[in-house]
Amino acid sequence: MRPFLEKDPTLKQTLPNLILIIFRKEFREIFRDKRTRMQVIISPLIITPVLFALVGVLAQGQAERTKTRTYSLGIVNSAAYPDFVKRLKSAAQSSPQFTLTDMKTEAEGSASIRDRKVETVIVFPTDTAQKLASSQIVEVKMLTDDGNENSQNATRILTGVFQKINDGIVKTRLNEQGMSVDVLTPFKVAEKNIAGAGGSGMLILTQMLPYLLIFSVFGGSIYAAFDQVAGEKERNTLETLLVSPARRRDIVLGKFMAVFSVGLLSAGMAIIGLMIPFFSHLKIYDWLAQGGLHLSATSIAVIILSVLPMCLLFAGLLLGVSTYARNQKEAQSYLGTLFPLVTLPALLSLFVGTDSGIKIALVPILNASIMIKQALNGNYNPSFIAVAFIASAAYAGLVLLYAIRSFEKESILLKA
Amino acid sequence: MITVNNLSKTFHDKKRGTVNAVSDVSFECNPGEIFGLLGANGAGKTTMMRMLATILEASGGTATVAGYDIRTQGQDVRRRIGFLSNSAGLYERLTAREVVTYFGELNGLTTSKIKKRIEQIFTELDMNDFAEGRCDSLSTGQKQRVSIARAIIHEPPVLFFDEPTNGLDVLVARTVVRFIRQCKAEGRTIVFSTHIMPDVEAMCDRVAIISKGKLISLGTPAELRSEQGTPDFASAFFKIIDAE
Repeated sequence: MRPFLEKDPTLKQTLPNLILIIFRKEFREIFRDKRTRMQVIISPLIITPVLFALVGVLAQGQAERTKTRTYSLGIVNSAAYPDFVKRLKSAAQSSPQFTLTDMKTEAEGSASIRDRKVETVIVFPTDTAQKLASSQIVEVKMLTDDGNENSQNATRILTGVFQKINDGIVKTRLNEQGMSVDVLTPFKVAEKNIAGAGGSGMLILTQMLPYLLIFSVFGGSIYAAFDQVAGEKERNTLETLLVSPARRRDIVLGKFMAVFSVGLLSAGMAIIGLMIPFFSHLKIYDWLAQGGLHLSATSIAVIILSVLPMCLLFAGLLLGVSTYARNQKEAQSYLGTLFPLVTLPALLSLFVGTDSGIKIALVPILNASIMIKQALNGNYNPSFIAVAFIASAAYAGLVLLYAIRSFEKESILLKA
Repeated sequence: MITVNNLSKTFHDKKRGTVNAVSDVSFECNPGEIFGLLGANGAGKTTMMRMLATILEASGGTATVAGYDIRTQGQDVRRRIGFLSNSAGLYERLTAREVVTYFGELNGLTTSKIKKRIEQIFTELDMNDFAEGRCDSLSTGQKQRVSIARAIIHEPPVLFFDEPTNGLDVLVARTVVRFIRQCKAEGRTIVFSTHIMPDVEAMCDRVAIISKGKLISLGTPAELRSEQGTPDFASAFFKIIDAE
């Protein structure tokens, strides 16, 4: 007869840390799943930078087209101010070009816009020349179509043209009076963006990082969590695990640690993916990275403080759903309810400022978004951060407790 | 090695109300003995085994397994049992070696002990060719051998087999039967649940026939056949069940 457990001196007298053993196995198994690798690693490291590059290409292309495009412009009473037509016709090749159509009345101009024959119409009063000569205000009408992007662009360009005409006329008039044009400009304000304080990229980062982190952590944790319990039920491996010396609490905590780690890794990868445009020095990311990126150590610490309880919360929540469901398909059907619960607070963060009251710190997910925004803006509210962290950790604890309680019920085996 | 005293299990079902899955069952099972639990589907065999394996809580009565009480010393019981069920799956994304190592670790075996045991078991069960193969790529027979290795990696004194040959082809079933006989020869206590009559007659030292959760007959296959005056064990079983 072979030696049994009690008699074998090579066996450990006390069981090792079963939570750690379960965690190690689960973590390894999770990353052998293509879906998880795709969601957690490939997607943020490739798709996010590609997405930004695509936005850059599209935006630059659009800007280029706006500059060089030929717009169709209708002019009513062009003879009343011929200089305007001359100016438009003499525009450089690199500037926007205009094809001009003479019109008789404002009504004809409106109809032409409606029929999409022209994009914008300028209506000069018949007495334009006389008013200009007597230094009176000439009321020019610009007919536009708010629903037409090209009409909007043409209007913006033409407003610039009128500004230049105005400046030229004013300068001439003041010179005739022996005065400098500077008399009209007591203060000349010049904006200067300071390198390192963050440019437009920081603004985009402030808007996008909360979303990106929330969806990355949630999305990355889904497959891992559903595979953990619902997947075990589906594959009939749960009974085998329950017969092992591991207590149910050990099993849940081991699995929870695995899902939590996947969530953290997802957040880390999402941040790395988002940083690639800023540090790659590729021309395609100039639009985003030209102002630089400024993140202090405190900002990074606050972001980590916001991500930690969020990962805990999602791990507990999704593990609870996975425990409740009979199989992965059923677990996925609950995502329809879960997604709005996660996306709504993330969306609300768009409308809630970083200086919001302490009550907001109690709203899960939204509080994390605000914390991230505070971190990026550099205007931290320590009370808000403390309350948000404690509240999120408490919610995570509650859902984890639910998962443990559910796992300790016999129904977990009977529902399998 | 296993002593069962008035063990009962009651479930509460929304549709059916209170269901007595196991009612007041008592028996003993000794080392080196294959103890058969026989009954139709839904008779209570699996529930009985799950209670003895401490994964379901008994509603009444108790039992000791390897000297430990199933109600108060669950973890001690689970360290001393192996459980093999035909329906049990494997971790598909792990290799055969990783699965067996995992259960060795869960049972508190040292790394060197696990390595030694794997070498021994994999040779005995002829598993070396597919030791590094992922479980999702293994054949049914190979999977069953991995399940056996997983169940005995920690050399448990008590083994539970829940319909282990059900649905298996004859060659795989033969591997399982050989393994069970080997465990008996090694002096382990074996509880074997099945409804395949030839398996019972060929393997079990004693048999408990369970119907509707109650133990209705207990004895060696020969004793039960003689009591019922039937030429074979299957007829004896049907006679006992029909009389109930």
